[in-house]
Amino acid sequence: MRPVLRVARATFHEAWRRRFLNGILVFAILIIGSSWVFAYLQPGAELKMMVDTGLGAIRFFGMLIAVFLGTRLVPDEIERRTIHTILAKPVSRAQFLFGKFIGGAATVLFNMLLMGVAFYIVFALKAPAFQAAKPEDALILQSMYSNIAKAVVLSFFEAFLVLGIAVVAATIFTWIMSVIFTFFIYFVGQMSDFFQQLSDPDRGASKFAQIVLGAAYKILPHFEIFDIREAILSGTYTPWSMLFKAMGQGVAYLIVVLLIGYLVFNEREV
Amino acid sequence: MCVIPVRIVTLRHVIRWAGDCVEAQRRCCTIGLAIKTEKLAKVYSHDATGRPVGLIDLSFEVEEGQVFGLLGPNGSGKTTTLKLLLGLIMPTSGTGEVFGYPLGSNAYKERVGFLPEGPYFYEHLNGIELLRFYGGLFGMGGSQLSSRIEELLHLVGMWDRRFIRVRDYSRGMRQRIGAAQSMINDPDLLFLDELTSGLDPIGAMEMHRLILNLRDEGKTVFLCSHLLKDMEPLCDRVIILNQGEVCETGRVDELLRIQDEYRLLLSNVSEELIQQLQAAEIATEIAEGGRLTAFFGDQSAALDVAQQAAAAGATIEDLGAHQRTLEEVFIDAVGGNE
Repeated sequence: MRPVLRVARATFHEAWRRRFLNGILVFAILIIGSSWVFAYLQPGAELKMMVDTGLGAIRFFGMLIAVFLGTRLVPDEIERRTIHTILAKPVSRAQFLFGKFIGGAATVLFNMLLMGVAFYIVFALKAPAFQAAKPEDALILQSMYSNIAKAVVLSFFEAFLVLGIAVVAATIFTWIMSVIFTFFIYFVGQMSDFFQQLSDPDRGASKFAQIVLGAAYKILPHFEIFDIREAILSGTYTPWSMLFKAMGQGVAYLIVVLLIGYLVFNEREV
Repeated sequence: MCVIPVRIVTLRHVIRWAGDCVEAQRRCCTIGLAIKTEKLAKVYSHDATGRPVGLIDLSFEVEEGQVFGLLGPNGSGKTTTLKLLLGLIMPTSGTGEVFGYPLGSNAYKERVGFLPEGPYFYEHLNGIELLRFYGGLFGMGGSQLSSRIEELLHLVGMWDRRFIRVRDYSRGMRQRIGAAQSMINDPDLLFLDELTSGLDPIGAMEMHRLILNLRDEGKTVFLCSHLLKDMEPLCDRVIILNQGEVCETGRVDELLRIQDEYRLLLSNVSEELIQQLQAAEIATEIAEGGRLTAFFGDQSAALDVAQQAAAAGATIEDLGAHQRTLEEVFIDAVGGNE
């Protein structure tokens, strides 16, 4: 385990020196910090607009960091040949890949934590004022504090999954192809429920559509399970069991993705 | 009912025991060998003539405690060989072992150190952090690692510059810290690719001394280089590669020795004497300023010509057995292969 932690630690420290990553973080915090300004775009629903913008920004920028960091983690080591001195030591490729992922995940987590804290501060400062203008939102506001924390935690898991896909894609494709591939999986994965509906024979799906779309539903990650914004905005209670189910699915999918990554990377020449 | 499982377990033990015996027998057979390869090949592609490009059928053995040199021009397959031995790439055919373990196995990497050519490291680390990182990959830590780091930084002359970040290192400093990281685990076998690259003459000399000290300690050193003058005093055995194939191999002292070759160096040589030597089919090399070198298969022929030349008014500059340099061996081998 020690080699994994060493690689992870080096990856984490190095990641903070990546300028593009710092740029994304600064921009994300600017957007999140000004989410209360966006609230005025929807008069009468300022609270909901602020939450929607803030949580949406955390998800989006977290995903962006995961994609751009994940697709560089292993290729950079190969291009700069730092991988040679590491794999010449008693470090298996599985340990190396897992260490890179852990280091990347820690970086994504830390970035998203900063975004989450920034949003919580903005929310705590501005939400009471918005709610005062609309007293019927009092109950929704009460539930929002805990629900926002739950939404941010789910966003972490979503970003970890995206990171895993990006790391693995980069061991197979060129950098640009792996970026495109990861974005494609992310956006298509947001629509996995839609595939299920289209493959439903009761809705008139052909045999071909049932097979293809049904397979797509089963294979693709279900990213929509990590998005609970609608529940938060409507003031619906989000049970922890639902959260754990989503996290469990995310972790299971991640294990499969990393396993595929290991099998590919094990055969790759460096 | 309980007899069956006992029998199965016993059978398993017997099979495992037999396997261990075979493995131990195999190890015993290869004891004393640090590296062994059998027709090891890595073919990347084929050229227009259908000739494979890469490394072709490399078979050699390196005994423990030897300094072994892998020589060859650029693109001859030296780095490919190193990568194969370290398990960074997989062979297309053939086999190899390091300390009796198959190539790529983590088991022998515990006992191996590696310095790549023009080494690259994490730029944000300083000398101590870098060595701590590599030591950690061996599971080292605490005071044991700290004292090893201090020892190595003194050894490679980097102790005073231990807090400088790698991004601010000169090429020579990278090479020195690279040498230190390759020895962090006190390896029994060191792979050094172009060790003196980027070092000033004093630095190169220090590294040479280091290699000789390692040999005295019983370590095996596998050197890759095209700097032949550096290799000659260091290596016990060499392999010369060209276009992926072995074109010369052997002990350095044997390769440098030429049986019964004598050299006569003359100056103030007349045209008439040159014509006489050429008529007698004596191998000669004529340099500027009337200097001539003649080569002979035996000593008496050389003495006869020396007397003849002296009588003709030439000056005898040198007469003796000719010792080849590794550079000449290399040029002969590579030229002959082409």
